Amino acid sequence: MAHRKARERDMLDSVYSMLALVFILVACVELCDAATVVDVYRLIQYDISGVPFGSRLASLNHHAGSLHFSPGADLSRTVVMIPVRELNISFVTEYVSRKHPLGGMLFLLPEIFRLENGGGGKDVREKEVVKNVLLELEKLLVHAKLPYPVYFAFENDEIDAVLDDVKKNDATGQPATATTGGYKLVIPIAEPKKVASPTITNIQGWLQGLKADGDANQLPTIAIVASYDTFGAAPALSVGSDSNGSGVVALLEVARLFSLLYSNPKTRGRYNILFGLTSGGPYNYNGTHKWLRSFDQRLRESIDYAICLNSVGSWNNELWIHVSKPPENAYIKQIFEGFTNVAEELGFKVGLKHKKINISNPRVAWEHEQFSRLRVTAATLSELSAAPELLESTGGLLDSRHFVDETSFIRSVQLVAESLARHIYGYQGKNIQIFADNSSLAVNPSYIRSWLDLLSQTPRVAPFISKNDPFIMALKKELADHTDEVIMQHEVLDGMFTFYDSTKASLNIYQVASVTFDLLLLLVLGSYLIVLFSFLVITTRGLDDLISLFRRPPSRKVKTA
Amino acid sequence: MTVFHFFNCAILTFGPHAVYYSATPLSEYDTLGTSVKAALVYLGTALVKLVCLATFLKVSENDNFDPYQELLKALIGFIDVAGLYFALTQLTHRNISQNHKFQAVGLGWAFADSVLHRLAPLWVGARGLEFTWDYLLQGLEANANLVLSISLAALGSLMWLRKNKPKTLIPIIYACAGIVATMPSITSYLRRGLGWQFPKVVGFELFTSLVMAFISWQLFSACQRPSA
Repeated sequence: MAHRKARERDMLDSVYSMLALVFILVACVELCDAATVVDVYRLIQYDISGVPFGSRLASLNHHAGSLHFSPGADLSRTVVMIPVRELNISFVTEYVSRKHPLGGMLFLLPEIFRLENGGGGKDVREKEVVKNVLLELEKLLVHAKLPYPVYFAFENDEIDAVLDDVKKNDATGQPATATTGGYKLVIPIAEPKKVASPTITNIQGWLQGLKADGDANQLPTIAIVASYDTFGAAPALSVGSDSNGSGVVALLEVARLFSLLYSNPKTRGRYNILFGLTSGGPYNYNGTHKWLRSFDQRLRESIDYAICLNSVGSWNNELWIHVSKPPENAYIKQIFEGFTNVAEELGFKVGLKHKKINISNPRVAWEHEQFSRLRVTAATLSELSAAPELLESTGGLLDSRHFVDETSFIRSVQLVAESLARHIYGYQGKNIQIFADNSSLAVNPSYIRSWLDLLSQTPRVAPFISKNDPFIMALKKELADHTDEVIMQHEVLDGMFTFYDSTKASLNIYQVASVTFDLLLLLVLGSYLIVLFSFLVITTRGLDDLISLFRRPPSRKVKTA
Repeated sequence: MTVFHFFNCAILTFGPHAVYYSATPLSEYDTLGTSVKAALVYLGTALVKLVCLATFLKVSENDNFDPYQELLKALIGFIDVAGLYFALTQLTHRNISQNHKFQAVGLGWAFADSVLHRLAPLWVGARGLEFTWDYLLQGLEANANLVLSISLAALGSLMWLRKNKPKTLIPIIYACAGIVATMPSITSYLRRGLGWQFPKVVGFELFTSLVMAFISWQLFSACQRPSA
């Protein structure tokens, strides 16, 4: 009998250890059963020469609040959900400038800004309303230092329902805290790390001109350049359809058109054409700088002039040519006249803007200034009439596909291609349309549209694109289809800027119960069990037994005493 | 607050079993062994049931109520009754009065059922941040199940262990046992055939369990009288 008992105990022990093992396994299971999971995009975090900017935190675990909080409420543990549609910019300005403590900010962008949601002219009025607010908001956030996480998300039905609930709660004067329940927003993400030595990639391609027999001299070169990367408040949303997606697409289309001409020896011009897609545009055209430095002196001298394309996709009736040499300069005059003639035929105006460069100022506002610094004649074609400040007009939140006007964009492509061709084939001042509509050399709107769509879905903030990013590969392949000797050049972005990763995350929204509720529940359950116990004792053993249960201890004491 | 909530739900799910054991004379006569054995029998029965379900049932793609499949499921559910029969008649653990035996078996049965069906979801679900009423309702369901198991055990002990029972009561006993044994199928029908919400189903279960408990208690005491 004793033997059997020992065996039983052994068996029980093994069962217990098995159970313990199972529990440990179960405890390791990752929990993710949130009511809603939403993709969110973090505000950029960066340093300029060691001075911190942007959102300095990434992980989030706080209750949700809305803008309808009671005045004087402590928001240091609340994530304020702010729909951009009804954003009061003064509130954000006040919180940012006075450095009020906040748990975090979550900006809700209208659904139409979603990257996949390209094209379509719906809700034009809504776009206009949001446009100005977003512009101001982005400027504010990019240049501020915020010691809390700031995220952007797109509105959808689920998040709208949560917001309505939160608003209702706030309206009753009950801001969500640990004791009152509500919604909890959780983003489990590691501390953002510095992006180690961000690379920038320049891509170049050549169309070789036709040398006359026995001509020993090098052919002159015309360069067409566009920077393709972007910078914006949310790196994962900075697609820059206009700045400078339009420039890139225009360059690709011009390359396609000239490759048709250059493939036939009869129509091959006596100029080499160099196409350059540069990176680092928002950072004083750092990539362009590195790219030009890598050229040898002879090549640089052979460049007749360079045309930089910058934001040419959403103008009304005037484009600008920006130069840094005085307009009286013969080359500048020639370029400008070439462009104005074609523009007049196409029915719009081109203006000339002259801005001297200051060598001691590190700020490079236009891409052509990098050429001018190396004494290469260059001009920038842009819809912007004045030079943008650092990190402005670089393809931020607002710069989505909706704001690119296809017809005006196609006209800018025509302008560039036509005036170039007239220069190359020596037709200046003559009314000969080389890329006439409906000819085999017409600008192809569907090609332009498809590339514009692709660029409008691809965030291109340089530090977050790797060397072999599919997008860069696609650009390279496309350029290689039309031009020869395509080279990729990888450089390290110069040291002034430091970037931090975690640009994208998923936000878990939990509906949580409060501590008070849990305490009350515990009380209710405790009393239920006590009532059940008493009921069972009374029914099975009688009331006296129940009473004696409470009496026994003192009576024993009396006995021992 | 999630561990707190888990704790609350666990109290609701498993507390009544402990209270039942300690409050009734079961604890005085040390019937724990019987309960443990009943729980082990439950484990075996559940295994057999699983095998049968896997063998005979098609996996339904949609959540519809298929009468033929449900009938089959109900039939397989009667394996429970067989297991209970085994636990009541074949297990002998010391000298235990019939009165306590069925309670101990029912208790062990219900406890094993709760552990097997509710502990894992509770552990995974109730510790999450998201609050739902589901786990509290599930706890209430466990209470209803405890009452039903004990009723079924009581009816079973009347059917199989008691010899001299009034002839008139026999059909009633069998009918009641049948109803209690088919409870899982009935609730499944309510939930999927009629599309009842979980709270409504749990309410129904609680109500029927109390009614069945009352009926079986009356039957039990009615059978007790002639022998006493």
